[in-house]
Amino acid sequence: MAEGKALRVRDLVIAPGIDPITQTIAPGEIVGLAGLDGHGQERFLRALAGLERPVLGEIAVDGKAGSITSFRKAVAGGIAYLPRDRRSTGIFPAQSVLDNFAISTVSNDRRFGLLSFAARRRRYEAYRQKLSIVAPRPEAAITTLSGGNQQKVLLARALALEPNFLLLNDPTRGVDVATRHVLYDVFRSLAAEGMALVILSSEIEEILLLCHRVLVFREQRVSAEFSGAEMTTDAVIAAMFGRAA
Amino acid sequence: MSPVLRKLRGVGFAVVMLIVLIVLNVALNPARFQPSSWGTLLGLAAPLIGAAVASAPVILAGRGGIDISVGPLMGFVNALVIQLLFLNLGISSPLVIVPAALLVGAAVGAANGVLATIVRIQPIVATLGTYLILTGITLTILPAPIGPAPDWLKAMAGPLSIMPLALIGLCWLLIRRTPYHDLLMAVGSDDRAAYTAGVPVTKVRLIAYVLTGIFAAAAGLMLTSLIGSADPNIGPTYTLIAIAAVALGGVSLAGGRGGLGGAAIGAIDIFLLQSLLTTFNVSTYVLQIAYGLILVVAVVLTAVQERLSKRKG
Amino acid sequence: MTSNWFQSTDARIAGAFLMALLLQIVGTLLIPGYSAPFAIRALLVIASLLAVASIGQTLVVILGGIDLSIPFVIGFANVVAAQLYGQGWNFALVCVLVGVLAIAIGALNGLISRGLNIHPLIVTLGIGMVVQGAVLLWTEGFPSGSAPEAVSSFVSIGGSVGPLPVPLLVPCLILLTALIVLVLARTPYGRRLYAVGSNPEAAPLALIDPLRMWIVTYAASAFFAAVAGVLLLGFTGSAYGDVGQPYLFQTIAAVVVGGAALVGGRGSYLGTIAGVLVLTEINTLLIGLGFRPSTVQAALGLVILLLVSLYGRERHVRTTI
Repeated sequence: MAEGKALRVRDLVIAPGIDPITQTIAPGEIVGLAGLDGHGQERFLRALAGLERPVLGEIAVDGKAGSITSFRKAVAGGIAYLPRDRRSTGIFPAQSVLDNFAISTVSNDRRFGLLSFAARRRRYEAYRQKLSIVAPRPEAAITTLSGGNQQKVLLARALALEPNFLLLNDPTRGVDVATRHVLYDVFRSLAAEGMALVILSSEIEEILLLCHRVLVFREQRVSAEFSGAEMTTDAVIAAMFGRAA
Repeated sequence: MSPVLRKLRGVGFAVVMLIVLIVLNVALNPARFQPSSWGTLLGLAAPLIGAAVASAPVILAGRGGIDISVGPLMGFVNALVIQLLFLNLGISSPLVIVPAALLVGAAVGAANGVLATIVRIQPIVATLGTYLILTGITLTILPAPIGPAPDWLKAMAGPLSIMPLALIGLCWLLIRRTPYHDLLMAVGSDDRAAYTAGVPVTKVRLIAYVLTGIFAAAAGLMLTSLIGSADPNIGPTYTLIAIAAVALGGVSLAGGRGGLGGAAIGAIDIFLLQSLLTTFNVSTYVLQIAYGLILVVAVVLTAVQERLSKRKG
Repeated sequence: MTSNWFQSTDARIAGAFLMALLLQIVGTLLIPGYSAPFAIRALLVIASLLAVASIGQTLVVILGGIDLSIPFVIGFANVVAAQLYGQGWNFALVCVLVGVLAIAIGALNGLISRGLNIHPLIVTLGIGMVVQGAVLLWTEGFPSGSAPEAVSSFVSIGGSVGPLPVPLLVPCLILLTALIVLVLARTPYGRRLYAVGSNPEAAPLALIDPLRMWIVTYAASAFFAAVAGVLLLGFTGSAYGDVGQPYLFQTIAAVVVGGAALVGGRGSYLGTIAGVLVLTEINTLLIGLGFRPSTVQAALGLVILLLVSLYGRERHVRTTI
């Protein structure tokens, strides 16, 4: 984990005629994004991942020249992204658990030009333990797993990129409670190791439980920012609806 | 935007091409395109129009819906009507021949439908199977071309071929007024949502295959009256060209968008293109190049235009 | 576990091979000389030619597409190779030129289909017609020339390799099969191919460029079609522009009988080889039994429907929600 590298967002405008956003996401920090659906938090997150072109402004990683303008550049800058809709943009349903895990980093398993299944298996085992993935037969299709375990495999895929920044788009959507708590522990330990996490969540409780600070989006701008003791359910909800707390 | 304009935008490129092609054809070959010969031209174009219109319903039904057995079915109907009904059994009455042909079409369409929707074989594979079976049977009962056709059928070749086309058009207009049309489009654009909303997806698709079969049989009759005989080799050649015409006419091969009118315009485009290229008196080889090229360019332009109009919102 | 195995891809492939073997046994029992060395050689050569032509279709189907330009590219390679060789060109140079042109044609297929999101059925058909027309125009419909001796003996039914009583084509195909199976299972390209076919929407987020995959795969498809075209030149001895036409539906049928779904993400070249053997066996058997080609064609259609309804069924809509 590279020490001290931050993700810097300068004067980012995600919709025409709206105030710019300037943020620094520091290593080891968990930042929550909250807001009513469609108020810009998802656009912001996708812009960080290079998936959406902002109107103005730049997103840069310390030590890397140039703004993040594409998903590939984001990944090269140490950013990993976990998409929201597991079924439509996450899993490869016809593929095995192992294939689904390894696809983003498939070239890492190359030995003398050919993929080594043993190397792939070893890499997978490390993440299986770390995320306690329950998959009796990793050669079986990913669709044989529960939703929570599919999500863990996708998280393992993202972590296999060894990112410094992890962007999570509603990571516990459709995941059972037990698995949620496993994921929370994983997120916390990742942050403790120095990774920066940005979590978009539709559940305020989740953000309060996990995050060091929260950005509340309203009408495509960051309408409020809370951290520490200020970060309460009431304050966040009030900001989401544009009321004074 | 008025409903008419909105409709035109969907077919868009095909209509522009239609107008350009008509103007060019009339300007360059006034003799062939004088009003008195329009009937003959229509007769020449009728089987292709029929084939394109027939190919459309299953494509509209979505999820890879396609029927590549339309051409062979036309050939099969052609062989059946002439060889079996007319020459072997001596039946020439349209009151027997027409219903028999349509019934055969409906049966083949139903078979395709059962294979594609109930047995759930990929439509292209299912209809490839029927393609091979139909061409095989056609060649077995009719190893070589044979004639003639009943007189009434031959008489339908010229201006009168407007009749079957108009009947198909009327049929489609009536279908558009029934709830079935809405269900078909719903299934075509998003079958999962339609299923959740309680639409009997399988049944709707099955009926689309039957419609395709019936229309294909009608196209087979039009083919029979055009060639005035039976020929086992002509039918299958319509398959791919018909699908190209459908695509040209703004019907999305992904389903749920377009209509039979667009398919017919696409077919007329292709026919006019053929006749325009023949006017230039170029070799058939150049004709084929131009033909393939224009097909590709047309679908590319349609895609580009769609993309632009989407960007404008 | 056992009941699972019977529904697995491996089981389908094994089943198809078993079926080919069964047909061979039936043929031997019914037709005298069906298993004579010459008959088996002929069968292997014909099957090998179809197998080469089906490589591209297999890759493209796994990708989630379809390639109707294969017969046209076969005809193109067949005629161009014969014509240029007849004009005194060096044959190696001819092969390189034909290969490069085929790759360009295929790349264009992939670029237009994926880049503009147009159904590959239409694109490959249109491009195929242009290619065929261009060849006809160039040769004015009467291609001339022939294959060099080396190509003819490479595919000759009477040929032999050392002690093996088969032409070099057959061992080469076995080698090629191993290579393709290896590429599909053990290279990043292979794994990405299945991934794009399985879920094209998810591919970019897994660092796969779908457009590049489509261009490369369609280029490969056209390249192998061109190889088949040159081999057919050696097999028939003279150029013929329509030599590829029977391969249009046969390649699709072989891929499907081999257990690949045309929705993408599934399929294997070993399965296609099994499908090729089944199709060739049925063809040879029925013709040997004295059926007319038209009847054989109808029977092939039936067999395809039967096999696919046994193991190639799609899921019901309700299970996809």
